[in-house]
Amino acid sequence: MEKNMDKSLTWFPPEFKELNWRLWSFAIILILSAGALILYPVSQFEGYVDPFYSPTVAVIPLIALFRLSCYAYRKDYYRHVFRHPIACLDGIRFDDNRKGYSGEMTFFSLQNFHRYFLYIAIVILPFFYYDIYVSMTYISGEFIFRLGTIILIANALLLTLWTFSCHAFRHLTGGHTDCYSCKTAGGAKKKFYNGQSYLNRYHEQFAFISLIVVLAVDLYIRALIVGWPIDFTLLKFAI
Amino acid sequence: MQEVKIRIRRSEPAVSNEVRYQEFTVPVGEGMVVLDAVHYIQNNIDPTLSVRWNCKAARCGSCSAEIDGMPKLMCKTRMDTLGKEITINPIKAYPVVKDLVTDVSHNYEIAKKIPPFTPKEGLKEPWTMMQIDVTRSKEFRTCIECFLCQDVCHVIREHQSNYFGPKHVVKIAALDLHPLDSIDRSELLHHDGGLGYCDITKCCQNVCPEEIRITDNAIIPEKERIVDHAYDPIGLLIKKVKRRKW
Repeated sequence: MEKNMDKSLTWFPPEFKELNWRLWSFAIILILSAGALILYPVSQFEGYVDPFYSPTVAVIPLIALFRLSCYAYRKDYYRHVFRHPIACLDGIRFDDNRKGYSGEMTFFSLQNFHRYFLYIAIVILPFFYYDIYVSMTYISGEFIFRLGTIILIANALLLTLWTFSCHAFRHLTGGHTDCYSCKTAGGAKKKFYNGQSYLNRYHEQFAFISLIVVLAVDLYIRALIVGWPIDFTLLKFAI
Repeated sequence: MQEVKIRIRRSEPAVSNEVRYQEFTVPVGEGMVVLDAVHYIQNNIDPTLSVRWNCKAARCGSCSAEIDGMPKLMCKTRMDTLGKEITINPIKAYPVVKDLVTDVSHNYEIAKKIPPFTPKEGLKEPWTMMQIDVTRSKEFRTCIECFLCQDVCHVIREHQSNYFGPKHVVKIAALDLHPLDSIDRSELLHHDGGLGYCDITKCCQNVCPEEIRITDNAIIPEKERIVDHAYDPIGLLIKKVKRRKW
């Protein structure tokens, strides 16, 4: 009887009530990128290194694991793949006690190794900045600044923001401390923690936008290869 | 005056198994909250309707209910933010005593399991704390124990487990982050508290009337502390080397 009374809430798709387009676009991006990488591999073009190849395509599984174990993505797929629960609103949660549930106690306790993937991501990050340098100096004796370089800068910055707004990074750099005033340079440590916490508020947004931009860079390079005249040169001089 | 239809779930398990939704028509005035409407029903239509409330100022955490399916405080939900037909349910994670009143005593049993504040050894009185050390745990001390986070948590609501629940993780985080406290309660959370059952879907954070960032600031930091002592071999090794007297 109770269930019948709550039916008024169930006719509307939960995705529209509690918007979560991130997961679905993540799945589409993943399929598109995997297809493009396998069928039409493009590593670089006119000084632009494809972000999937920076520094090598072999690191993609490690970056994928960093993304998959990220708290932002975990929220998305626990909600929308496993439906534990799909929404917070009663009547459209799609979770009940008949469904088995072990949370992060068994297989998903592997998520606890997220910080190791963070270490790898931090090591890989400088390569994106090196790619910016390469895009400006790939012709010997010349400095060139093009639209593509701006896109590469945006990509590197967003990946940096996403990586350093990570909850694991937040814990490792200041979150584990209970008494800042007891530590050497405790005040500076707390200020850094506060700044990082501010970034952390937007971690989910950075996680998604950085992914979109990685794909955008890949598509931009592909557009250049097929001859789209979109790569405006903004500055060019001999060095 | 505008009128709103309010459907309220009525039941009294101690007397009968019957569960029914009763509809009331209530006139809505300016600035009226859901608790005002429930009081109007009690005073003018049906005095047998039961509701737990105390301060009517979002301070005591007594008037928790599910308004149109979302756990909220009745005293903090304005009628003009809702439609012309409203459904009010008691919080579903806990057994109903009568109508909108639920038995939340399970939380008090869990609270007994959490070790209280235990000061570090050898502290000289008066105890002093620096501002930078207390700001983090201060956020958790705004908790009004309304149990909305417990209600919305699917681990408690839909699955049987030993998970303490978000409210108690907030309590533990407040104690763990205290600069003068000597106990690490994350081990308790890992084993007896079942924090691994939490899948950080952030519903608790969404419903908190005090806007405590429960998942980001309490649950995930406690999860990371568990990683420190249970899953991170390199971290453990560094700690061991640091502690060793050469």
